[in-house]
Amino acid sequence: MIGFVYKDFLLQRKQLTYVLVLCVVYSVLSLTGTLSPSILSGMVMVLGMVLPMSAFSYDDLARWDKFAASTPAGRRGIVAGRYLFTLLLLLLSAALVAVLLLLFRLLGLVEEPLAELLLPVPICAAMGLVVNAIILPLLYQFGVEKARLVSMILFAAIFGGIVGLGFLAKSVQLPALSDGGVLLAALVLILVAAALFALSHRVSQGIFARKEL
Amino acid sequence: MKNALELSHITKDYGSFRLDDISFSLPGGAILGLIGENGAGKTTTIKCILNLIHRDAGEIRVLGQDNLAQERAIKEDLGVVLDESVFHDSLRPRDVDRIMARLYKGWDSALFARYCGKFSLPNEKTIKEFSKGMKMKLSIAAALAHRPRLLILDEATSGLDPVAREEILDEFLDFIQDEEHSVLLSSHITSDLEKCADYIVYLHRGRVALQGGKDELLESYGRLVCSRSDLERVDPALLHGTRISQFSCEALVKNRRDFARRYPSLTVDPVTLEEIMVFTVRGDCK
Repeated sequence: MIGFVYKDFLLQRKQLTYVLVLCVVYSVLSLTGTLSPSILSGMVMVLGMVLPMSAFSYDDLARWDKFAASTPAGRRGIVAGRYLFTLLLLLLSAALVAVLLLLFRLLGLVEEPLAELLLPVPICAAMGLVVNAIILPLLYQFGVEKARLVSMILFAAIFGGIVGLGFLAKSVQLPALSDGGVLLAALVLILVAAALFALSHRVSQGIFARKEL
Repeated sequence: MKNALELSHITKDYGSFRLDDISFSLPGGAILGLIGENGAGKTTTIKCILNLIHRDAGEIRVLGQDNLAQERAIKEDLGVVLDESVFHDSLRPRDVDRIMARLYKGWDSALFARYCGKFSLPNEKTIKEFSKGMKMKLSIAAALAHRPRLLILDEATSGLDPVAREEILDEFLDFIQDEEHSVLLSSHITSDLEKCADYIVYLHRGRVALQGGKDELLESYGRLVCSRSDLERVDPALLHGTRISQFSCEALVKNRRDFARRYPSLTVDPVTLEEIMVFTVRGDCK
């Protein structure tokens, strides 16, 4: 299984380099005040959505799954490897963004309180987990092409929903959550995301075990 | 001698195609050639062995173990080469080495490097830049470098030039020098199998049409070319198939020696695996 995760990272070398370049660009834009530093947190989620899907595309193109299932890791290893890759991707990108934001704050390059800067990072990573928990079984069930459409709709729905909720919150003047309340909500979101991701893994294992390769 | 592979009554029904009651075995230290026309069921049989598809009935034992119950352990000892390169275009041989080293306990990087050297595979080039023959050689190097006991190859030589095919066949012959090693090689290029196979299983429309030792089959079967009147006086039970044209008749004789004793005036030529296949597929089978 570790071989599959390693292979996914190897194949995404180029994309990961682009992401690092984007990180630098967004950092500069955040520091010059053009964009909010929270844009960096948003990148965690985008990365967590795009790269696992492109890993499926690469494997389809190479017809890798037939061969991979013939190795000792087998079908279970293929699915477990892809989930581990996704999880590592989200954790590593979240860690990178958190370190960057921490550095900005410590160097006095941004003025926002540290908690306010860092809190969106795990929230975005958790959202990335939720999105993948939905998309990965679809990818195993329907393949990349059909699942791509579903994921685009999902992506639009999530971002549309967030923007919509923002407007709604402003218009109805919801009472602001206390700091403790915000932390608790974030923690609940992370736990729910982790549980969904674990459940999704089981569902994908079931789908892939039945699949004819 | 232990069997490296045993298939008993394997059945897989796709509706439009049915792999029907396939049974054969591959003894250790031997090469078995799985032949048949396109769509005869060769790849489906191999997929059943590798558990890539779910069979409807039957049992498969690989290296003495059930291929479903002991799947992981079996696959450590299997080298698999599929009909096309499965490694991603952007990878290099050294990447393949690093990936495979994390997939097989017995992976030997030095052995892989030796095969890459032997097959003249450049380490610095990406697979995208490889020719079809080079890609196949890379797949074979990857299949051999974890020291498998059974090699399973699905149309591994198709699409390659004769020189590359010869080189690869030599590698298989080298591999079975160890009596613990065996090879299952599916191909519709029967001349390749005539060079290296010890046993032949011929699949036709999802069923085993013929199987046995290659030498015995080639020794036993023969090709009769004669006139229509000569053919009419031959006992049809001795023939496997006939082809009648305007000028002559051809027939596949099942037992050349027996036939020669009964019809000494008729000449029976040696036959090739390809001719056996063609007679079965296109001849007027009786």
